[in-house]
Amino acid sequence: MTPKQKNRLFVVLAIIVGVSIATALGLTAFKENIRFFVELKDVDAIEAGSSGQYRIAGIVKPGSVKKQADNISYQFVLTDCKADVSVFYTGQLPDLFREGQTIVANGKFDTNKIMQASEVLAKHDENYVPSETASTIMEQQANVCIDQLNKAGTADSKTY
Amino acid sequence: MWQAIKNFYHRMGTPREFYRIAGYWIPIFGVCFAVLFIVGAYLGLVVAPADYQQGDSFRIIYVHVPAAWMSLFVYVVMAFAGAIGLIWRMKMAFIVMITSASIGATFTFIALATGSLWGKPTWGTWWQWEARLTSELVLLFLYIGIMVLYSAFTERKTAEKAAAILCIVGVINIPIIHYSVEWWNSLHQGSTVIREGGPAMPASMLTPLLLMALSFQFFYGWLLFIKARTQALTQEQGSSWVKQIIESKQVK
Repeated sequence: MTPKQKNRLFVVLAIIVGVSIATALGLTAFKENIRFFVELKDVDAIEAGSSGQYRIAGIVKPGSVKKQADNISYQFVLTDCKADVSVFYTGQLPDLFREGQTIVANGKFDTNKIMQASEVLAKHDENYVPSETASTIMEQQANVCIDQLNKAGTADSKTY
Repeated sequence: MWQAIKNFYHRMGTPREFYRIAGYWIPIFGVCFAVLFIVGAYLGLVVAPADYQQGDSFRIIYVHVPAAWMSLFVYVVMAFAGAIGLIWRMKMAFIVMITSASIGATFTFIALATGSLWGKPTWGTWWQWEARLTSELVLLFLYIGIMVLYSAFTERKTAEKAAAILCIVGVINIPIIHYSVEWWNSLHQGSTVIREGGPAMPASMLTPLLLMALSFQFFYGWLLFIKARTQALTQEQGSSWVKQIIESKQVK
């Protein structure tokens, strides 16, 4: 390499290092804002009846889903096995909504600390399982938490 | 051995040699792409079993994931080519960089569009401003930015340098896209294939995915060779070897 090429190499490396440091600092500063949802354990810190819009994610607690009299509203409990949060939602639920499924709810907390959700999304995990073998494989992979929940609640999860 | 690599590198660096060697590889890459694509698509769309939760809609993975992988891969190729071009002033490196941009942008668009189509029935939404989706959209804007920046200069050498610097600056987005689902909680799931403890997918579903991914690689190579050859001819249109090629075609 000629001295000129070496200089250019250093410039290129300096750009990469500089941009990396700047980006790392920026992303660390905005860490809270980049998170898509608030963990259920952090919901305690949120004031009941506050005007803020929050997204929370948790497993739909088996047996907790109650369809309301109007047939389009639902009340259910999201859990991470430690904290529980009640959610009220009016509207169409995503196809993947079922007990034991991870759900993201977006809304405001009312004075009773129940989330009045304006949007409910299903979160798909990274597991892909053929329909025929689903039951056996899912049993092996079953999350300890879901196992406990299933024993406490209904045996088989219903779909909505 | 080192000398042989160096020689090959220098030969590929000159438009004339690149034109000749790429011309030899184009049909091979084209055939590899076609065969792998047909086999992969058949296995993925017909043979692979349906997913227990998503049913048949999971099959969009056979386009979505290879396209998303390629969107990252093409960018890394561009950043390397841009760096080589800047440091060693190699003509072909800049040509590879700039002809890759539109291919990479297309892969990124396909990944975003198929993801959106899958997201609606699965998540219940076309789009959310979460880390993975947003960083992939930034990648699309980077590709477009590089193309726009390159075409904004009348002086080709200035354009090449400016585009290469933007390429290198933007490469920081690649690890961000890859790790976005691990660093922050997100709606997009973690990686199914590249993860601790092996792929979370049986072989009957994984094999077509890997075949499709490989076919996309050949597709990129095939397109890149065709486009880079054309670009080389256009840029070198005043030189004698291009005139020779034109004359030999006219005789036929």
